[in-house]
Amino acid sequence: MGRQSSRRKPGNLPIFLILNIFGGKMFFDMRKLVLILFLSVSIAGFSQYDSLNKLDEIVLYGNFSPEFNTGYTVEIITDTIINNEINSLGNFLQKNANLYFKQNGNGMVSSISLRGTSASHTGVFWNGIPVNSSLNGQTDFNTLPINSFDGIEIRKGGGSVLFGSGSIGGAINLSDKVLFQQKAKAMILLGGGSFKTFKSNIQGIVSNEKYFVKISLNAISSENDYPFKDTNLINENGQFKNYGIHSTLGWNFDDKNHIVLHTSFMNTDRNTSRTLTAASNSKLINKNNRFLFTWKNIGTQYISDLRLAYLSEEYNYYFDKDLLNSSQNRSQNLFSKYSFNYFFNKNISLNTGVDYTYSIGQGSNISNISQNDIEVYALLHHRVFSNLVYNVSARKGFSSNFEIPFIYAADLNFKIINNFKVKANYSTNYRTPTFNDLYWEPGGNPDLKSEKNSSAEIGVDFQNKNAKFDLTTFWIKSDNLIQWVPVTADFWQPKNVQKTSGYGLEFSIKYKKIIDDHNFQFQAQYAYTVSNDDSIDKQLIYVPYNKANSNVSYNYKRTYFNYNLQYTGKVFTTSSNSQSIEDYWLSNVEISQNFLKNDLKIGFRINNLFDENYQSVAYRPMPGRNFELNINYKID
Amino acid sequence: MNLLKITASLFTFLLFFASCSEDDQLDLPKGNYEKGYFISNEGPFNNGSGTITHVGEDGVVSQNIYKTVNNEDLGNIVQFMALEGENVYIVVNNSHKIIVANRFTMKKITTISGNGINNPRYFVAENDRGYVSNWGDPLNPNDDFITIINLRTNEIIDTVSVGEGPEDMLIINNNLYVNLQGGWNQNNKVEIIELQFNTVSKTLIVGDVPNSIVADNKGDVWVLCGGKPNWTGFESNGKLAKISTSNHIVEFLDFDLHEHPEYLSIYLDNLYYNLNGKVYEMAAQSSSLPNSPIEGINGFFYSLKANNGILYATDAKDFQSEGALNLYNLSSGALLETIETGILPGAVIFQ
Repeated sequence: MGRQSSRRKPGNLPIFLILNIFGGKMFFDMRKLVLILFLSVSIAGFSQYDSLNKLDEIVLYGNFSPEFNTGYTVEIITDTIINNEINSLGNFLQKNANLYFKQNGNGMVSSISLRGTSASHTGVFWNGIPVNSSLNGQTDFNTLPINSFDGIEIRKGGGSVLFGSGSIGGAINLSDKVLFQQKAKAMILLGGGSFKTFKSNIQGIVSNEKYFVKISLNAISSENDYPFKDTNLINENGQFKNYGIHSTLGWNFDDKNHIVLHTSFMNTDRNTSRTLTAASNSKLINKNNRFLFTWKNIGTQYISDLRLAYLSEEYNYYFDKDLLNSSQNRSQNLFSKYSFNYFFNKNISLNTGVDYTYSIGQGSNISNISQNDIEVYALLHHRVFSNLVYNVSARKGFSSNFEIPFIYAADLNFKIINNFKVKANYSTNYRTPTFNDLYWEPGGNPDLKSEKNSSAEIGVDFQNKNAKFDLTTFWIKSDNLIQWVPVTADFWQPKNVQKTSGYGLEFSIKYKKIIDDHNFQFQAQYAYTVSNDDSIDKQLIYVPYNKANSNVSYNYKRTYFNYNLQYTGKVFTTSSNSQSIEDYWLSNVEISQNFLKNDLKIGFRINNLFDENYQSVAYRPMPGRNFELNINYKID
Repeated sequence: MNLLKITASLFTFLLFFASCSEDDQLDLPKGNYEKGYFISNEGPFNNGSGTITHVGEDGVVSQNIYKTVNNEDLGNIVQFMALEGENVYIVVNNSHKIIVANRFTMKKITTISGNGINNPRYFVAENDRGYVSNWGDPLNPNDDFITIINLRTNEIIDTVSVGEGPEDMLIINNNLYVNLQGGWNQNNKVEIIELQFNTVSKTLIVGDVPNSIVADNKGDVWVLCGGKPNWTGFESNGKLAKISTSNHIVEFLDFDLHEHPEYLSIYLDNLYYNLNGKVYEMAAQSSSLPNSPIEGINGFFYSLKANNGILYATDAKDFQSEGALNLYNLSSGALLETIETGILPGAVIFQ
């Protein structure tokens, strides 16, 4: 899994896979498939997944497989890109995927808004199991170090049928990849940068045809005491130190069965930094422990997939870090998911699944509570003609604590000419109330209903050898949204009161050119997003109308250069849209050089090249120009 | 010396003379904000700054006047402001400071902060001394105090420990009455500090959650107690407590169990308060609570102030945007005017 990992082109594929891709007649042998799949799993760079066989996709990506999402855009970011990164997931996605994050200061809580939806409307998954907090329904993207994972799948658009509660704006999967092949390798990544920031990641992989072991350790610490431009202030109380241990153990029992155990321990210890107007002496510690057991059984005409997970999360908030009293809340989930895919023939398949979750919560603001949820779904995949595919799907769930609506979805992919496709989808979606919404003391409202949403999109995509082009428009409408509203000035309660509607446009272009040793890549993305609070007819706060991103990279032999430019449009900070944070342009550059047969890589980065004074959240300035030096050493 | 020069100097002399005489006749305005009233706006909860709105005698509304004059933010959560002498004292809760500015021009004079100011809430003043109620760490019930400031030097001269959650205050007969509302918890006391010695001389039990305090013409002190809200699990009724300043005997008028009144204000010896979205009026001599509210005034207000026959009631709306100040005719209840304010308008202060 080096940087120059095997790049699969249709020409290199075994004949039966090619036949399948192009709608050939031959039926495939699943057992052989698995072997092939695990030998050549990494897909290099962008735009390659179309050339992957549809069925290895399913084994690899589960419900995130483009096969089940033919009418959606699924972006797959592979280990070749991730391995070079030493960054938080939020910063990485901002740089590479044009997603919008609201960061409470550098390194602090970072929440996503996808297609103008709220932070709890993006489903976040770890190897296919949901990991959004049971307490607040969100993921803090600054607590996840990017190089603990091997792949990221981003699927925009409503997806509650396949992914369950909260996948409204979209869903993001973080995955560990398992390869059963003879290999032993280790990688050490060390980085140091401005504001006394130190990062490290150590990974080791030992595997053969039967077993796979991967262990990854990462740690990051920073004084994070950057100056606030044009003031006498510095980012006081912004220190953080985070670490994590991740392991993946795989057993290729026989060619039909493999078993994988994923574990992840993460500890994030952050002081919460001051603002322009208020000092802080607070501290937030998050602990997440995750275990996941998966068993995949692959037959000639089916894939059976069992996942059992235990997830625990806990946070301690110290209003004054010098005192010992904190408020602590935690939740634990037992999650099980069974999915069964049956292939009637090469054109029709059925994907069915059942999810069962038992969760408990307790802490300073939540009395001992528990919840049982069971949900079932089914998706029918049908290739009508070689150039026309559609999926129809539905889900129904039952919860001990509230009602879960019946939802359904349909999507379609029509290849007009060889390189040109039209994609369309319609879905209904929901988000169930979280423990905080239901039981927070004081205020929690046990009578809350699920939030409802319907979404649609239509888009075109064009792709050839060197270029890829995507244009999508979407519509999104949500009802019964849960909002904490004042009952009296000091007593607030969540209620199903908000209605929002929005629409937008997403555009992306990718281009690459290789001439001899010169490798040139360009990508740019732009999103226009309207997200309206219907009761007052105003744009929601912290949703930029305009967001754009571009990367230009150039690779010559052992030298690599990248220029990243991000634009974040103005966001409103008051519901009446009377106040806003100004838009900003951010430039980052990176230069790296490989040595010692490419085993050693030394990289240098300048973040915020033009020293822009910008804020992601009002009154919380972000760092000016800063520097980073990274050393990456591999032993194969 | 030619004629032209003579004429010019004569003209200059006349001009000077004329302007002098004009000065003698007119009071020069002391500043743009000499007349009218202010609204202090807390500002957004987490990140941001509070502001001050000014409404002139002519009704002209100016927003964010402190920043306009001084080109700097007040700070996070402008909890309260008070006028004393030539100055205004602006209490900035989450920035842990008191900003002193000229009350007529809003020009900043100094900032009072440091160990003696920690989570400041309210400010009262008398005889060149200012008194600030402070919560300290809201999670610690034992570190609450009153700061004493020398208003001539704007320096902190002393602090006096009090019980949990000191809030609104009042000075009468050289005694400082401090409502112990409870901060993040619920308290039920009024502490009396003898200003001659700066020591707590008496602690009176009133109702739960004393939220506002006023004095009437007779010299009695009225404390409105909201009672413990339902969500605490120990709901208690609101009470209106009357404290005699001579013997410190407390008399009570009880509200019903689920009634939690707020924002006591007094005008012409009539008391006003907000309860369940209505505003009630009660004569200070009355021996019972009023049965019916003032017709026409409806709203869960964020502060109330009765003055000049008008009820000034602020509305925080959705707490995420500009609020409003509603002016009602006190006798008819008619809405006279609505004025846009800053975010979370918390207090109305008259010049």
